[in-house]
Amino acid sequence: MREVLAKLMDSAAGHAEYADARHVRLRHEAVAMRNGELDELDSHEEEGFGVRVQVGGRWGFAAAAGSDASSAEEALARALAVADAQPVAATRRLAPEQLTEGRYASPADIDPFAIPLEDKLELLTAADTALRAQPGVTVALAYVESRVEEKVFASTGGALYEQRTVECGGGIEATAVRDGDSQSRSYPASHSGGIAQAGWEHVEALDLVANAPRVAEEAVALLDAPPCPQGRTTLVLAGEQLGLQIHESVGHAVELDRMLGYEASYAGTSWVPADGIGTLRYGSEAMSITADATLPRGLGSFRWDDEGVPGQKLAIVREGVLQGVLSSRESAAEIGLARSGGCARGEGFARQPIVRMTNVSLDPGDGGSLDELLAGIDRGVYIDTNRSWSIDSRRLHFQFGGQAAWEIVDGRLGRLLRDPVYAGVTPQFWASLDAVCSAQEWRLTSLTDCGKGEPGQMARVSHGGAPARFRDVEVGSA
Amino acid sequence: MSETLDLARQALAAAGSDDALATVTRERSTLLRFARSRPTQATSVDDTTIEIAALHEGHVGRAATNRTDRDALAQCARTARLAAEAAAGAGERGHFPGFPAPAPVRTHHGYDTTTARLDPTTGGDALRAAFEVAERAGVEIGGAWTAGEVDTAIASSTGVELSDRVTDCFMKTIATAASGRTGYAAQAGVATSSIDARAIAQQAADKALLPGDPVALEPGEHNVVFEPHAVAELLWTLAETAFDGLAHAEGRGALTGRLGTRVVSPAINLSDSARFGSTLPRAFDAEGVPKAPLPLVQDGVAHRVVHDTRSAAILGGATASTGHALVAGGQASRPRPANFVMAGGGAADETELCAPIERGIYVTRLWYTNVVRAPETLFTAVTRDGTFLIEDGRVTRPVADMRITDSALGILARVQALGSRSVLTADGEFYGRRFATGSVCPALRADGVRFSGSAAAS
Repeated sequence: MREVLAKLMDSAAGHAEYADARHVRLRHEAVAMRNGELDELDSHEEEGFGVRVQVGGRWGFAAAAGSDASSAEEALARALAVADAQPVAATRRLAPEQLTEGRYASPADIDPFAIPLEDKLELLTAADTALRAQPGVTVALAYVESRVEEKVFASTGGALYEQRTVECGGGIEATAVRDGDSQSRSYPASHSGGIAQAGWEHVEALDLVANAPRVAEEAVALLDAPPCPQGRTTLVLAGEQLGLQIHESVGHAVELDRMLGYEASYAGTSWVPADGIGTLRYGSEAMSITADATLPRGLGSFRWDDEGVPGQKLAIVREGVLQGVLSSRESAAEIGLARSGGCARGEGFARQPIVRMTNVSLDPGDGGSLDELLAGIDRGVYIDTNRSWSIDSRRLHFQFGGQAAWEIVDGRLGRLLRDPVYAGVTPQFWASLDAVCSAQEWRLTSLTDCGKGEPGQMARVSHGGAPARFRDVEVGSA
Repeated sequence: MSETLDLARQALAAAGSDDALATVTRERSTLLRFARSRPTQATSVDDTTIEIAALHEGHVGRAATNRTDRDALAQCARTARLAAEAAAGAGERGHFPGFPAPAPVRTHHGYDTTTARLDPTTGGDALRAAFEVAERAGVEIGGAWTAGEVDTAIASSTGVELSDRVTDCFMKTIATAASGRTGYAAQAGVATSSIDARAIAQQAADKALLPGDPVALEPGEHNVVFEPHAVAELLWTLAETAFDGLAHAEGRGALTGRLGTRVVSPAINLSDSARFGSTLPRAFDAEGVPKAPLPLVQDGVAHRVVHDTRSAAILGGATASTGHALVAGGQASRPRPANFVMAGGGAADETELCAPIERGIYVTRLWYTNVVRAPETLFTAVTRDGTFLIEDGRVTRPVADMRITDSALGILARVQALGSRSVLTADGEFYGRRFATGSVCPALRADGVRFSGSAAAS
């Protein structure tokens, strides 16, 4: 495949100012049990070429299935044709990069595809059974997924690399229904559970079966729980909900293509100006955010991005001040950055690379353990699992809903509360952050359905964080 | 015979004597993006997916590949069969009753040979036309133009042999004025000839250029005129919360126990009609069940929810699939309407809908719509790209975008009037394999829409 792509780039160089190509082979398996019955058992394999060219300042990208040279050449021809059909534009400069050759494979102790299907079903059946053992559970769901992606990339700039990533994970969910009311609890998260760039050892560590009774009990208890009280209070976010807060109000907001207006037609723009790097106050001094494509186990980790730029660890916010953004070679060049942040990724082989998040995380603070963080709260609310999310197209005004909340009374977690929601404005919300737990409480959460781009592409990314305390937040009940 | 149907037959043959259903989907598409009044990205896709669903003791296993050679089909069939067998071995017998039997499928108008050529210069010309309008208007524009052809074939062990070809085209434009205000317009259709790039750009520019400083309104209840793009968002919320037959069967649906009762205004008549004149048609669902008009709400009374084979079996009794499977076997994806058609009313246009409103809000579209509480169809969303103040019966000036948190059924229950013209709206997102859907709906006026906050710059 390296030879096919190298020859393709030789051919493209005669027609385009710049070209790159990747061949992707993807294998994905999703297995789910629902109420004692197989809900999903999908095995999907695909492979093909994605070829991108720039001609007369116009980009063209074409995707073709297959693995032979003729498919690659056919994709190149279509990429040139769609580029040529567009109105002429000024040539888009790319940030310089020392492109190299190399190979990389992400670590995985146990190949998830080596685990017999029967073993996966046995695990899910046990989890499903444990969920349904709780009276009042109407729908029980247990699922795992496994994914291997093998990619070869080449560009006219001289890059030629191969990388292989392995991901897997799973989750459980219980739903209780009564008198027209429906309440759910999930573990470890509501969005695709907990997925990591790791082998099957990650699924084993999740211990889905052991967590099922608690999840089921909480789902049923939510039916009788009091609603989350309305008003301004102290809010502690943890786990998935903190990850999604980072994702929506920081990660997307610092994507440079959005900041420059290139996603205005779909994903939106950003309240963050490109000239705010180094000066814009994003939040309190307790807020430090890092985007790290080298983070072990992160779904946003890679050795090279889809422009051949090495994955990097970038300071995004330090002590509340914006320090960096997520960029591609094109967007980085537009604002004069010395190099791309290495954030260009495309889904599979049939989507072109665009600016995507790497693992954007809240750095641990010095708040100690969760108990120590809570100790400083007279009255408040704790939320760790997401149910609904919505934010405006500038990533400024948001409203999130949790599956459940716990009241905080006199420094301790108290009653379970139903239907919690909270709302805020991004810089004010992050300015209200006054403490983050220490490193021992820091965890990764995953999102596998981050949509962006046209045609739409899904990205998989992780976010790290330790429980974080926000003061004077508008909280209520849906 | 079509190439895709031939391939579906080969895939079914690879499944041998298994109870199986093979689906072949070939997508050819072109999408041109633009931003800041220049082309930015262009994507051309040509890919074929072969999926085999195998049934064993009530369990369905599925496997998919985009390789079309004999070995790949055999491997795909083997994987699907082993998956189903493993599931059967893991527990009790499953409840999937079997793949549907053949049934007559009617033709539709959803294919245009010119569009199927996917000539990228058609899109390039559309961009040039839009750029000219934008330059004259003094706005920057961003957006997308796309056209696609999708050829789908199904062959099953029950004797289903079907193929269907559809084309679709979509263009949208967001104009940004020097003031920073934005305006949105879009069109969708079966054929590229149905897209008027100049008109779209002009409409978007007009919205962005409406004079006046944006007013920030207080949260609370407001009377609202929703354009069809926003109405379609309400309908998609109902697709997820109210019309999903699986949620209904499990008692989680918003219409559980409410079919046959009035749930919205008597002015609302809503169906799923895949061959309606201006929709994006399709002939059958993912299990080969023919598409047929399905009344969902008539004169405000909830009539039906949509089912695939699986959800119908769970509900039991005489319930049958309504032809709304998105996946054969009806598993990961739940049954969903794909062709909403909402009947129009007596108001000539949006201007007439605004006329009775002393003070209210005009909403072009909703953004980041998400369900907050499904049983109540409670959703939250932010207005975007054309939110205006209505004063004394007419649009007067921009309003800073606002967050709506309200019940979709509740809003439709408070509808006071409907526009006479139902238009096709689509989002053109196209995640995964291209599956063009749209809603044909009118603008409407509703009282007492609950706004939970302003999105004014802070």
